[in-house]
Amino acid sequence: MLTSEHVIVEYKDGRARPDRLQRKRHAHYAACAEQMLAIYRTGIGRQRRALHRDVETLFAKEPDCPLRRTRAFAKLLDDASTYQTDPKGEASRLRLRVFEAAAPLHPLVRRKDRLFEHAEAETKAAIAADVGLEWDEIDARLYADVMAFQQLESFEGYPDGVALLSRYNVAQLQACLYAAERVTVRATQDFKTILRYAKLARLLHEVRRVGPSEYVIEFSGPASVLRGTRRYGVAFARFLPALLACKGWRMTAVVRTRWRARAVLDLSDQDRYTSALPPPEEFDSGVEERFARKFGQQREGWRLERESEVLADGQTIFVPDFVFRHDDGTTVLFEIVGFWTPEYLAKKRETLRRFPGQGILVAVPERSLREGAEPGAGVIVYKTAIKVEPVLSALEAVRGSRSP
Amino acid sequence: MPPDADNAVRLRFDRGTLLLQGVPRNRARALPAPELWEWDGRVRAWRADAMHYAAIRQIPDERWVGAWRDEVPGPPPVHWPKVDLPPLRPEQDEALTAWRAAGRRGQVIMPTGTGKTEVALAAMAETGAATLVVAPIRDLMYQWHRRILSRLGYDAGIVGDNLYNLQPVTVTTYDSAYIHMDRIGARFGLIVFDEEHHLPGPCRREAALMCTAPGRLGLSATPERSDGRHADLDHLVGPVVYAMPLARARGRTLADYDVVRVPVALTQTEQTTYDACSRQVRHYMAAQRRERPGYAWRDLCSESGADPAARRAQKAYYLKKSIEDRAAEKLRVLEDLFRLHVGQRIIVFAGSNVMAMEVSRRFLVPTILSHTRKRERSAVLDGFSEGRLPVIVANRVLDEGVDVPAAKVAVVIGGQASTRQAKQRLGRILRRTGNMRATLYEVVCEATREVERSRARRRSDAYERTRHRRV
Repeated sequence: MLTSEHVIVEYKDGRARPDRLQRKRHAHYAACAEQMLAIYRTGIGRQRRALHRDVETLFAKEPDCPLRRTRAFAKLLDDASTYQTDPKGEASRLRLRVFEAAAPLHPLVRRKDRLFEHAEAETKAAIAADVGLEWDEIDARLYADVMAFQQLESFEGYPDGVALLSRYNVAQLQACLYAAERVTVRATQDFKTILRYAKLARLLHEVRRVGPSEYVIEFSGPASVLRGTRRYGVAFARFLPALLACKGWRMTAVVRTRWRARAVLDLSDQDRYTSALPPPEEFDSGVEERFARKFGQQREGWRLERESEVLADGQTIFVPDFVFRHDDGTTVLFEIVGFWTPEYLAKKRETLRRFPGQGILVAVPERSLREGAEPGAGVIVYKTAIKVEPVLSALEAVRGSRSP
Repeated sequence: MPPDADNAVRLRFDRGTLLLQGVPRNRARALPAPELWEWDGRVRAWRADAMHYAAIRQIPDERWVGAWRDEVPGPPPVHWPKVDLPPLRPEQDEALTAWRAAGRRGQVIMPTGTGKTEVALAAMAETGAATLVVAPIRDLMYQWHRRILSRLGYDAGIVGDNLYNLQPVTVTTYDSAYIHMDRIGARFGLIVFDEEHHLPGPCRREAALMCTAPGRLGLSATPERSDGRHADLDHLVGPVVYAMPLARARGRTLADYDVVRVPVALTQTEQTTYDACSRQVRHYMAAQRRERPGYAWRDLCSESGADPAARRAQKAYYLKKSIEDRAAEKLRVLEDLFRLHVGQRIIVFAGSNVMAMEVSRRFLVPTILSHTRKRERSAVLDGFSEGRLPVIVANRVLDEGVDVPAAKVAVVIGGQASTRQAKQRLGRILRRTGNMRATLYEVVCEATREVERSRARRRSDAYERTRHRRV
């Protein structure tokens, strides 16, 4: 990840535009990216400072390239690198040895005279002889543990130049979000992934339904109701790759500019950023997938939709696997219980209890039922696969009970 | 949140805030101190800054509508294994008494070198509560750790410098405090902000907002900030309960000192480059301003990406600064000063890490930089105080608060003009040892911006009643 010293954002008319390299306008960057990778691949043993200087030089004559961009490249390359550290503190020991040897001879003067008889060059040569190295060697090792002088040990790298540039674009987006106070996502699908990753990033949500299978989700942190705070900016940045992997969404973030004004960052799946994460799986399990295939898109007046409803009770979220919509407007939610650890079942029961009166059908594997237990109404027991017939009759039962 | 079984009103600590559950939204009037609370629809409860915990606890029971439960974990009591505090000097005692009288909440302003730390340690000793000490940098954090160990016999936890060892008494940095306070904010009865002028920044202030500690002590020599935000300290820490003017400290606790300005000329090549760079920046700015009045340096920076000319002007500016910082002549002057003060301990303040290392490699004298590890740091400081090492070179790290052995001579060869930095730097060399006057040399490039910065430094009250000489 980048840090705030690499951020390039343009603020214009209240909008924030993070730096982004474009395939056409920055076509020549593809070659630069390959060269940067080459600098690191062939740079094993070189100092961090030298590698950075080479990256900078690559763009010296480039008419459109701020210093922050080159430094950001260097940071992303460093992130995929391992540098030699000095765990045993050898440089530190060498320094103490040299400085203690020089202390009684202080000050080292350029030209000696009657009062001061320790000339710089002579003294250094004498110390070098004592240590058993050339002075130049000592001089190079003296501060070798300082970040800038560390040597590259290995470079894990990026698959190719394009991958580096994609990574750069996403990293600038993320860096822009460090300054975000709140993020609003308007989504039409992949709710489960969006909400799950937001929760992993420890964000709080507020879900509002704005249309059939369309939701507005506001993300922020605990203190956000008290004041505008950038405390959760890193959480937004961490959440972003998951969002980028999804489809059918628009995002608006309110960010603080450096001048304490506010600006808006707009983003959608149409912006086609490349996520480091794979797109969410279409189905959570084989049971789900087989059932959906068997049922088809529509059957006897019932339309089958995947994960198209979000039930929210405070911070508890329930996205049923399927939603059945009948032509007459009846909606029935369908949740398939696929795993059967007792903890999982207990948790599921607890979640379902929170949403009473929602018309939820549950499919439960036979193995999860306790010996002799009677499945209640709205529960479909299956062995290895869910059959269509019992589901249809359960659906009709719900419709019957709903009709006046 | 699940509806509570018995619908009791509960006060909890939730990630750096206080959460009051069980009072419905439409019953805002039933809240104690309603102005502190905001309704949080996401969790259907009322939220307030953790900082207000003490105030909320002080609200008498009859102002609460019905019973309520305080589920905020209380800080554990602390017993100091071995208290060994030196007797306080009168002004330290005044400060401690004033803080105690203000309800153990407020700021103590005392010049560098007058023993703020002793006041804080005495406050910790008598409060006997779990304490978090927040320091600006890790060097200072370690220093607090050592002080607490030697004076109170307590091996405090450390949160910061890639360590996370939380104890009832813990030391940390402002940056770590900001990051971790939402987790650890309810564990302390007393929080000490060392060099408290670091606190009011837009992020760092959350270290105070997200902490429930009722006891608060802010320490500083120079609370004022150029952005005026020091006024917020009243709210974040408490009122100023004691302020000792620098003039009272000087000559009694601190040594007198001279300020000597040593102008150096740039070499011919340096001067040529410097002038060319200055011209380039000036011309570029003037040209822009003709078209767009009000064009500022900020605009140049933001345009430097898309505009190679702006980028060149920006580079010219940085080159200028680096010429000032690393003027070759400065090393020569340094040699002269080393000759002049041979046998005396000298601290050199550089304007950058690069310059500090340059001095170090030229004269083979040790540096104390931000990345210097703990062991080397103590070896260097010990060697310096025992007189084995005659010189140390530092960058900003030693600017404030870090204990350095007394030195009679300090040389500033670079840095910015801020008042606080000047004061803190003076504080470093002003520790009293006998009656000898201390000397502060400022080595500045002539015909550069550095001369102006040096003048700005001298205008601050830190330099009042000092003698100025030119050599």
